Amino acid sequence: MPSHDILHMELNFPSDHIALSTKNLEVIYADGARAVKGISLSIPKKATTAIIGPSGCGKSTALRAFNRMNELIPGTVTKGEVLFHSRNIYAPSIDPVTVRTNIGMVFQKPNPFPKSIYENIAWAARIHGHKGNCDELVESCLRKAALWDEVKDKLRRSAMSLSGGQQQRLCIARTLALTPEVILMDEPTSALDPLSTASIEELTSELKKDYTIIIVTHNLQQAGRISDMTAFMLLGDLIEYAPTKKLFVNPEDERTERYITGRFG
Amino acid sequence: MQNPGFDIDIAELDELMLLLASKAEEAVQKASHALKTQDIDLCGAVKTNDSIIDRLQLSIDDKVIEIIATRQPVASDLRKLLSVMKLASDFERAADYAVHLAKATKLFLNEPQWRQLEKIMQMADMGAAMIHGTAQAYKIRSSALARQTAQLDDQIDHIHKSLLQETLLFLRQYPEEAERATRIIILSGHLERLGDHMTNACEAIVFMVEGIHADLNE
Repeated sequence: MPSHDILHMELNFPSDHIALSTKNLEVIYADGARAVKGISLSIPKKATTAIIGPSGCGKSTALRAFNRMNELIPGTVTKGEVLFHSRNIYAPSIDPVTVRTNIGMVFQKPNPFPKSIYENIAWAARIHGHKGNCDELVESCLRKAALWDEVKDKLRRSAMSLSGGQQQRLCIARTLALTPEVILMDEPTSALDPLSTASIEELTSELKKDYTIIIVTHNLQQAGRISDMTAFMLLGDLIEYAPTKKLFVNPEDERTERYITGRFG
Repeated sequence: MQNPGFDIDIAELDELMLLLASKAEEAVQKASHALKTQDIDLCGAVKTNDSIIDRLQLSIDDKVIEIIATRQPVASDLRKLLSVMKLASDFERAADYAVHLAKATKLFLNEPQWRQLEKIMQMADMGAAMIHGTAQAYKIRSSALARQTAQLDDQIDHIHKSLLQETLLFLRQYPEEAERATRIIILSGHLERLGDHMTNACEAIVFMVEGIHADLNE
């Protein structure tokens, strides 16, 4: 079977295996720049999907469009659809706060609240209506974020006293407290040292058993290590979207080949 | 646009690889010629050459490991490096068979009646041609030439089968010639394997160029 047939076969996910999909998604900034130019793709459930591409290709903008974060940037217009549970998250009846609860985001720079480790999780959950036992929730989220053993004896200490890698895992734990289905990660390790990076990468492998992860990364080796699917974007267009193993061994598009082999970008 | 550092590394690797291939080709040609002309000195040269070939293969392996460790290549760059390691190993094996061939010269000194040797030399010449074609296909990154070169293996297999039958028949008639007859069978097997190694090398070139696993034995 020719390799492109295998590719298409693998991309034809059954609908109940799709966590989120886009149809002609387009994002235009206030200055008229079309950062994302009508991309359509389906993100598989409980898997890690990486979005790669050179600076300015629109990958972070696309990621933010997956949970309506671009609306926080004045003048930004989003067109097309982002389907989550078969509903367009941009439909007028949909509450963007609910969208962002179900589709959480972890940012490039760890941004814990200037509160205790405990409160970073409990507070976020409480303001989103959590009524249950906060102690259990805090422990469960910290365990899932592989941080519990390191902080269980200092939960009342300031989150700001943690290392960068620990802060980022705390931010992931805080996202988990809202019980999302999808976690968006925008270059979550670019501000971290190699060891902290490794712990976040290991964590994503654990988390994808229960969550869908979409990660934007500049680090191609990282995309290769942790993702199941990879999307390559260039100048706002989706150039290639394929299983990571396929894309990094035998990409279909010459531009993907040139980018991942370091010949441009 | 180029990736200058990587391309310089690959150019160095190409140089080593083509040198290895030419040494392996030369070894097979010389071994065949030594058998034909009963030139014991030439046999010695083939054996000496083999240690150079072994070192060249190790140099190629080291260079590939260095490039993988420092540049983390992907896509066609990665396929190229993995194919280079396979090719280097196949060329090295081909040269080993040349040494076996050269060593047999002594056994057939002043034994002109062994016409089976003609077929052995014919197989060796085809083996050398396969090494040459494989090296060219690698040099110009041509999967078409690799496929064409691999077809020569059928001819080597054909000669091997007929030589096997012929020699077994001969062995029954002249059991006192068992040592030399057995050596013919072994040499024929070696040269048949040489053809297989070059076919594998051609498959590695197809993978390098096209990214698909082709079965060129079919």
